[in-house]
This record gives sequence, structure tokens and C-alpha cells, in this order.
Amino acid sequence: MESGLEQKYNFDVVRWFTIMAAVYLVVGAAVGVYIASELAWPFLNFDSPYISFGRLRPVHTNAVIFAFGGSTLMATAFYTVQRTCGVRLWSDKLAWFVFWGWNTVILLAVITLPLGLTESKEYAELEWPIDILIAVVWLSFTFNFIMTIAVRKTSHIYVSNWFFLGMMVMIVYLHVVNSLAIPVGLFKSYSLFSGVQDAMIQWWWGHNAVGFYLTAGFLGIMYYFVPKQAGRPIYSYRLSVIHFWALMFGYVWLGAHHLQYTALPDWTGSLGAAVSIAMIIPSWGGAVNGMMTLSGAWDRLRTDYVLRFLIMALAFYAMSTFEGPVMALKTVNALSHYTDWTIGHVHSGALGWVAGISIGAIYHLMPRLFHTEMFSERLVNFHFWTATIGTVVYIVAMWVSGIMQGLMWRAYDEYGTLAYTFVESVDAMHPYYAMRAIGGAIFLTGAIVMLFNVLMTVRKSAVDGSLVRARHVPAPA
Amino acid sequence: MNSLSEYFHTDWQAMTTNDWIGTILTVVIFLLMVVAYFQVFRPKNRERLEARKYIPFEEDNAFSGDKDGGK
Repeated sequence: MESGLEQKYNFDVVRWFTIMAAVYLVVGAAVGVYIASELAWPFLNFDSPYISFGRLRPVHTNAVIFAFGGSTLMATAFYTVQRTCGVRLWSDKLAWFVFWGWNTVILLAVITLPLGLTESKEYAELEWPIDILIAVVWLSFTFNFIMTIAVRKTSHIYVSNWFFLGMMVMIVYLHVVNSLAIPVGLFKSYSLFSGVQDAMIQWWWGHNAVGFYLTAGFLGIMYYFVPKQAGRPIYSYRLSVIHFWALMFGYVWLGAHHLQYTALPDWTGSLGAAVSIAMIIPSWGGAVNGMMTLSGAWDRLRTDYVLRFLIMALAFYAMSTFEGPVMALKTVNALSHYTDWTIGHVHSGALGWVAGISIGAIYHLMPRLFHTEMFSERLVNFHFWTATIGTVVYIVAMWVSGIMQGLMWRAYDEYGTLAYTFVESVDAMHPYYAMRAIGGAIFLTGAIVMLFNVLMTVRKSAVDGSLVRARHVPAPA
Repeated sequence: MNSLSEYFHTDWQAMTTNDWIGTILTVVIFLLMVVAYFQVFRPKNRERLEARKYIPFEEDNAFSGDKDGGK
């Protein structure tokens, strides 16, 4: 059946985004492992500014969030909107412009960031000409998506598309406002905002990038790919509707919880914390909705390796959407802020949820896009265990080191002076930094295995001619 | 904090334009969420909304001859 769809839909651009997602996961994770190793063994800086932690860290975050995450979102959004609307993408040319434009942005990031060309805004480091390119490409992506929905053959817009569209609209708004800057040269600009306003705008962007890009977008993936892989509809469509609106209306208030105990007015932090706690309800509602889709068919997890990725991702989604609000509370934040606990929390969301649901979607897509079985099911299973074990090792190391940091920094003796110097706390972190690098390396191993498996599947499809044959099957009406 | 009335006391005269915009938006969004909850969980709308969860399978079922959308 899938082969009949080859002419009806534009799967070429989906195929390329899918392959690039697998490539970028390896690149992003490799840079991550390297900079994690630099923190454990600083000689790896080799006294070169170009590969110092400060310059490679944004390369890592941009590679995993925008290169890997962005490619996955674009592949899955373009696939889902066609399959659920029953029509081809509104414009093939615009879709290819998005592909080449997005990859150009990534290339420019890889060149400029190691050179130290940065706006110094977290998760928005790229300089103003690249910011403009991002806006143009993202708007093209959004416009093509909206127009495809506009010409759909179905009466209702399936909930996945709501989540994708919510992400697209909000990211335009967030990216444009946060990137407002005054250029003083081709590679240098200064933010339009300053002081506490700049901090507030930065974290309004920062947390909403998490909320709308890394959560809403990937929930769009979840609501299509979990039911499809499980072969059963989502547990409750009504719950998905409430999940969507609660997420859209609630998430925008959270950013200030990143700025507790700073110059920001105290009430903004309290508001951020209160809404963070309230967001547990829709987040868990969504996670339960995804998991309960397997109700009555849990045995599928024994044999379906792809489903394992998707369900494990939902477990991490539930866990990190509980941990985040708890960390937003001022009492807990007093201990956790500026420590490695935050890094552990971010990676339980990034590796467990975002990468997990993406990898599951990529494994779901590969046989359908290349019209052949995966090169190796055993390697998919191997990847599942390396991804899960690597993630757990990573976040446990950061939990332990983060809480230890927080306790050491606040400890004082009977004279009221600090019990530990900062350097002593750094020294105490060493075993956990090594453990973090090992956890990351285990995860990276799985990513390399996936890339190998993906490329071998492409080769298999070329050798047995399955894709070429599928292209000649007449399109269904 | 001596009493609830003190806790909820608001100096309305000190409200800026930004404060009013934020307050009105918050109340409007709250009311919209109430409407959303009411509509979604109203028993009358259950069948219509739940029927939409079969959309991802409609194309597959059309090919397999299942005209009922797998319901």
C-alpha cells in the first residue's frame, strides 16, 4: 500500500530530512561527548580557542536541538501533514527551499560558533544575518504546512498537526522578538534589550523553545507515530485536545522560573513556579494518553523495538515534566540552580524524551520511505539499550554531582564562613564528570549504530530496487 | 499575612497599562480554558470528538477495503 503513495505524496524531502536527522544526531552527540570529556579532562582543550568548551558547547546545543531536532521535526511534520490531510505538500519547491535553507543555517552555525561569532544568548547564539535566514526558512516551513492543511481532503485537522502548527507559530514569535538586535557589523550585533529586560526576554525565549519546539513539536510526532506504530488509535482524543490548549496557554508563563533569586521582580518567579506546577496536569495527561494507547496490547513491547523507543520516551517525558516544575519551586531552586542538576534534568528531557521519540519516529519512517525492511532489527534493539543505559548513566551522574554541588556551596561552619572553596567543589565533581562522559559515549555508540543501520537500509533499498519500483506504482485516487 | 483580605488586597490605582493588559489576558485565557474543558468533556460531544482519533488509519483502511475507518 505504501508504494502506491510514493507518487501521491512528496516523500523525497522527507527521506532527506530523515537521513540528515540520523547524521546530525551523531555529529551533535559526538561534540557533546567531546566537551563533556573536556570538563573531566581539561587537557583536551589543547589550548586552542576553537575547540574550547565555551565555543564548542553552543555547537553541541545547536547541532542537537536545531540540526537533529529540526530535521526530525521537518521530516515528521511534512510526512504527517500529507498522510493525515490526504494531499501532497502544497509546494515541492518550497519544501526543498526549507531543506537547503535549514542545512545552510546548520553549516553556518558550525563555521561561526567555533570562531567565537556569537550573540551570547543561550540557544540563540547565532549572529543576526543567520537569524534572518532562520526566520525566512522557518516561515517558509510554516507557510507550506499551513497551505497543505488549507487544501486538505479531510474535514478535520488531526491533533498532530495542531501541535506542529502551535510550535511553528510560537517559534516565529519567540525567535523574532528574542533576536531583535542592533547590528554594528556583519558578524556583530547587540541585543535590543538590556539588563533585567534582556534576561527576561532571553528566558521567555529559552523556556518556550523547550515548551513549543522541544515539547509541542515532538508531541505532534507522538500523537501520530505512537498510534501508527502500535496499530491502534490514541487512547483519548478528547484528552489530546485539552492537552493541546492547556500546553499552548500555559507554557508561555514559565520562563521566569529560570531567574529565581535574581534582579527580576520576585512575583514573576513565583508566577513562573506556580504555572510550572500547574503544567504537570496537562503534561501527565498527554503522557498517560500516549502510554494508554497500548492498553490491552502491552505484550507488543516484548517484540516491537520501535514501540519501545516511543513508550520509553513517554516515560522520560512524564519524569522530566514532573522534575522541571519541582525544580522551579523557590525552595528547591535555591539548591538546584546553577548546579549540574539542571544539566541532568535537561538531558533526561533531551536524550530520554526528544531523542527517544525522534529515534522511534525515524525507525518507523525508514521502512515506509524506502519500501524495504530495516537492514537489522537486532541493531535497533541494540540501539534501544545503549540509548536507555547511556541516558540513565548520564542523568544519574548529573543528579549526584548537582545535589553535591548545591550542598557544598551552601555549607558553612560554626563561624558562618563557607565550608568549601569553589575549587574544592569542582574537584569533587571529577568522578561524575567522567561518568557523564561515559554515559554520553554509550548514547553516542547507539546513535552511530542507528546511522549505520539507516545507511545500510538505504543501500538495501537501492540494491533490491524497492524504491525505484515503488515510484512506478500508480498513485491512488 | 494577617488575613485573606490583606493577602488579596490590590492597589488598583497603581495598576499600569501593562498590568491591565496582563490581567485581562489572564482572565480571558482562564475563561477560554473553562469553555474548552466544558466542550471537550461534555458527554454530547464525546462520540464526535473520539471519532477523529481514527484519522491516521483512514488511508490504510481505504486501501484494505475497510470503509468503516477501522472503528
